[in-house]
Amino acid sequence: MKFHFFHLMPYPELPEDFREKNRSVWVDVPSHLFDPAVGHRAYNEYLDELEYAASVGFDGICVNEHHQNAYGMMPSPNLMAAALARRTSGVKLVLMGNSVALYNPPTRVAEEMAMLDVMSGGRLVAGFPVGTPMDTTYCYGQSPATLREKYREGVDLILRAWSDPDVFSFNGKYTQLRYVNIWPRPMQKPRPPVWVPGGASVETWDLCLEKDFLYANLSYFGYQEGQKIMDGFWDAVDRHNLPRNPYRAGFLQFIAVAADDAEAERLYAEPALYFYRRCLNIYAGYVNPPGYMSMATLKAGIEGQVSRIVNRAGARAEMATLSWKDLVDRGYLVAGSPQTVADRINDMADKLNVGHLMTLLHFGNMSKEVTTYNTRMFAEKVIPKLRSRFSQWDDNWFPRDTPLQTAASPATSLAAVP
Amino acid sequence: MKAMSSETVTLPNGRRWELHSGGAGPQLLWLHGLRGVDPADPVLTALQARYRVTAPVAPGFNDLDELSQIDNIHELALDYDDLIDVLGLDGFVMVGHSFGAMIAAEIAAHFPRRAERLALLAPFGLWNDAYPVSDIFAVPYTQIDDSLWHDPATRERFARKVATGADVKDVAAQTVKLAQGLTAVTKFVWPIPDRGLRRRLPRIACPTLVLLGAEDRVISPRYADDFKSGLRHGQTAVVAGSGHMLPYEQPEEVMLLLERFLQAPKIT
Repeated sequence: MKFHFFHLMPYPELPEDFREKNRSVWVDVPSHLFDPAVGHRAYNEYLDELEYAASVGFDGICVNEHHQNAYGMMPSPNLMAAALARRTSGVKLVLMGNSVALYNPPTRVAEEMAMLDVMSGGRLVAGFPVGTPMDTTYCYGQSPATLREKYREGVDLILRAWSDPDVFSFNGKYTQLRYVNIWPRPMQKPRPPVWVPGGASVETWDLCLEKDFLYANLSYFGYQEGQKIMDGFWDAVDRHNLPRNPYRAGFLQFIAVAADDAEAERLYAEPALYFYRRCLNIYAGYVNPPGYMSMATLKAGIEGQVSRIVNRAGARAEMATLSWKDLVDRGYLVAGSPQTVADRINDMADKLNVGHLMTLLHFGNMSKEVTTYNTRMFAEKVIPKLRSRFSQWDDNWFPRDTPLQTAASPATSLAAVP
Repeated sequence: MKAMSSETVTLPNGRRWELHSGGAGPQLLWLHGLRGVDPADPVLTALQARYRVTAPVAPGFNDLDELSQIDNIHELALDYDDLIDVLGLDGFVMVGHSFGAMIAAEIAAHFPRRAERLALLAPFGLWNDAYPVSDIFAVPYTQIDDSLWHDPATRERFARKVATGADVKDVAAQTVKLAQGLTAVTKFVWPIPDRGLRRRLPRIACPTLVLLGAEDRVISPRYADDFKSGLRHGQTAVVAGSGHMLPYEQPEEVMLLLERFLQAPKIT
């Protein structure tokens, strides 16, 4: 099993009454709540936390893309990955990733990811999310009627730009380019591994399985809630007659490790409630624009999964009253002693069959000190109990270790200019 | 009143169109709003008393795949031009509501010699920063009607008529149908319902009537001025006591205004 440290980079000082006074943390969150001095401190501490995770043995460090969002201050995760590429070695840079349809032309994504792969010595995981409706349709103005088609065309263009040794022309519906010939080319051959963070759509699962991408479910509601979705994914794997290799799949989980349950509550209740009460305050009108879900998914959803997701995201009142106990009981958070956490993750591994665990060990307004503690406890006391899970499987969806990954690094001191 | 008859016609490009028709009299092409065509629609029933009404279902409302070959508003106008040929319509009037009124205006701007009269009821298609068109796509499906209707009692009456005898499955199917229609609409109006119609309005050659609801929370009645200033033969009226659903909210007033406009002697 592999373990990754995922950072959302939330704005850490939303006011106590944020939920009461504002309808949404996303899209139209008021700008006056943003203090650049707070942002400056947060960015630097968050990069420290990612670098710390790399130093204590996580396999990957993850950044992702959100727009006009107070719980995800990374409109450009590529900038963060570039900063991390220079300050880390060995650890893989999991860029979760670039919402392909938002880039014009999408070769921009191919170029920047190739730069990151070369800079880091072949450590890049290339994430291709469709992107949330908030990010893509409301903030970036993409029509939900054409978003997925445009995304798919962009993915095809990027894959070809990475792999075709010749200059080629691309006559697409959304992008027309006479000369495609990106420089640099990625270091990993035939291409960096591609991960697709996505919701519960049959179309996304089929895309992943057809193109040999990893499917990652980034849920904020824990693995009990995620079970149905991952079951759907593994059913799709069966339909495609592929082995149920756990390394095809990733799952995100909030985790809070402490000496015991009481310490977990004392350390983590406040940042957890900050996240669920303030950061997840998303206006229901932004969650499901017409066309964002395919009609097939929508129809299926009225009987099952999608209505739950829609209702969940729209359930602002419910979020307001959640307690620490609710979060733990429902499994949104895995919290407690190292043994408790390891037991729960073992249970998750059994039920969800996911080889790549993306941990959220920083959440809400957690301090750097507490984040470091949580990260160290997980790395030192939990990972060793779980490391051997799924060792019988080959992981074909992650960068290989190569000698190059430590070959070049920043100079420790700058020579005087003569 | 005889029920409207349904048929499917095929355009030269191979696309198939479902349409509903009924009534007798001069030809009237009806371009529906956000919810597609309901053959029992009281507005269509009223129009059929005086006109031979043809109501095509806009691309995407039945099958979203129909939109894959229609990239923009110009190609959409071309499809309607083909349809008018296939139907053999000549010397007809064109009436559209909401999104359908935007299409009607675009057809008339692209092909100025087609319709003899044009009536636009609460039309999308223009944008003014001073009174932006509201974002009907940024509300949950269950709340869309809140912004469309002015008078809750009228809305209730209309909604009940549709929902009588409907079981849960029908309601679910209706939600999917609404989502599908709105998806088709987003292709042409997202994120801002302005595809350059303002520049094309002067091309519209026929007399044009623009009606807006005084209480329309989606498209401000102030858009009457924007249409008036661009149209060569435009007249506008603001209908009191009505929201975006004005032909349903003030049917008598709207029918009277339409009748007066459509029957007025031709100016040659």
